[in-house]
Amino acid sequence: MDGHTHHHTSDRRELQMARSMCWHCQSEVSGEYFCDRCVKVQPVSKELDYFTCFGFPRRLSIDQQKLETKFYELSRAFHPDFYQNKSDAEQTISLGNSAMLNTAYRTLRDPIQRAEYLLDLEAGSVKDIRTTPPADLFEEILELQDTLDEFRASDRTSDAAAALRSQLQSERTALEGRQRDMETQLQQLFGRWDGLQDRGEATDQARAERDRILKDMRDILSNRTYVKNIVNDLVATIA
Amino acid sequence: MAYSDKVVDHFNNPRNMGSFKKDEEGVGTGMVGAPECGDVMKLQIKVQNDTIVDAKFKTFGCGSAIASSSLATEWLKGKTIEEAQKIKNTDIVQELNLPPVKIHCSVLAEDAIKAALADYQKKADTK
Repeated sequence: MDGHTHHHTSDRRELQMARSMCWHCQSEVSGEYFCDRCVKVQPVSKELDYFTCFGFPRRLSIDQQKLETKFYELSRAFHPDFYQNKSDAEQTISLGNSAMLNTAYRTLRDPIQRAEYLLDLEAGSVKDIRTTPPADLFEEILELQDTLDEFRASDRTSDAAAALRSQLQSERTALEGRQRDMETQLQQLFGRWDGLQDRGEATDQARAERDRILKDMRDILSNRTYVKNIVNDLVATIA
Repeated sequence: MAYSDKVVDHFNNPRNMGSFKKDEEGVGTGMVGAPECGDVMKLQIKVQNDTIVDAKFKTFGCGSAIASSSLATEWLKGKTIEEAQKIKNTDIVQELNLPPVKIHCSVLAEDAIKAALADYQKKADTK
C-alpha cells in the first residue's frame, strides 16, 4: 500500500511496534485487540485508521453486512458493561475503544463520509488536492440567492411572485438533476479507485491515476456540498 | 451558541452588500468557498491610485460568514493595496468575537481578500 509516502510507512511501523507489546504482561501481542497470554484488552491506537480497525482494505465499496457484523463483534468485545469488575486501566481502554469504534462505524457506514475520510487519509500525498474554486458554480449560487431574496421580499399573491416561484422551481429541478449526475460520477470514481487498489500497481502511471481520482473526488464532493446547500434553501423557501 | 452583538449587527445590517461589474476598470474579484460547510463568498474591491476606494461582498452562508465578509469590506475601504494585504483572519476573529467553531468563516474572508487583491494585480499587470 502506498509505499511512496515514506512518512506514512514509518508511522505505521511504529504503530505496529507500539501495539505489539501488551501493556499488562509485556508479552508480544499477536491477537487483534486482546493479548493472547493474559487476555487483557489492548487499546486501539489513535493512529489506527478506521479501515484497518475493521480489518478492511482502503476500498470505497464495502460489504455493509460484513461491516455490521464486525461492528457488533467488536462492540461486544469492548463494551464497558463487561469491564465493570475489571481494573481501572481496562475500564479506560474499554471506553476509549468503544468511542473510537462508534465513530469508525458511523464514518464507514455512510458512502460519502467514507469517501471524505479516505480523502483525508490519502490527502497527505496529494498536496494539490485543493483545487481552484468552481467560479461558475459560485456565480450561479450567488445569483440564485439574489432571486431567492427577491422572492422572500415579494408579495406572495402577486404575479411577480408567481413568476419568481416558477423560475425557482425549474432551477431546483435542474439542480437536483445535477445532484444525481454527481452521484453517478462519484460512483464511477469509487469503482475506479477500488480497481486501482485491487491491482495494487506501484507504477508512475498508477500513481498519476490515483492522484487524478482523488482530485476528481475532492472536486465533486465539495461541489456537492455547495449544491446541496442551495437546494435545501430553495426547497425551504418555495415549499 | 449565541452570536456576539457585533455579528448580529453585521448580519442584520450588512455593509457594502452587492457587486461591481467584474471587467470594470480597477475592480478585483475574489471568489472563495468552504467545501466543508458549503459557504460561498464573493468579495470585490475597486482600486484607484493604489487605494481601495470601494468594496462590496455577497455571501451565501451562515451569520458569521456574512459578518466576516461585511466587516472585511468595511476595513478594506480607504486602505492601500499593501495595507489590505496585512488583514489577518485573527483580526476578524477578535473584532467579531467568533467562537472556535466559526474561525473558518474568518479564514474564508481573509482568503477572499487575498483572492480579490490577486485578481486586481493580475488585471493590472496584463494591461
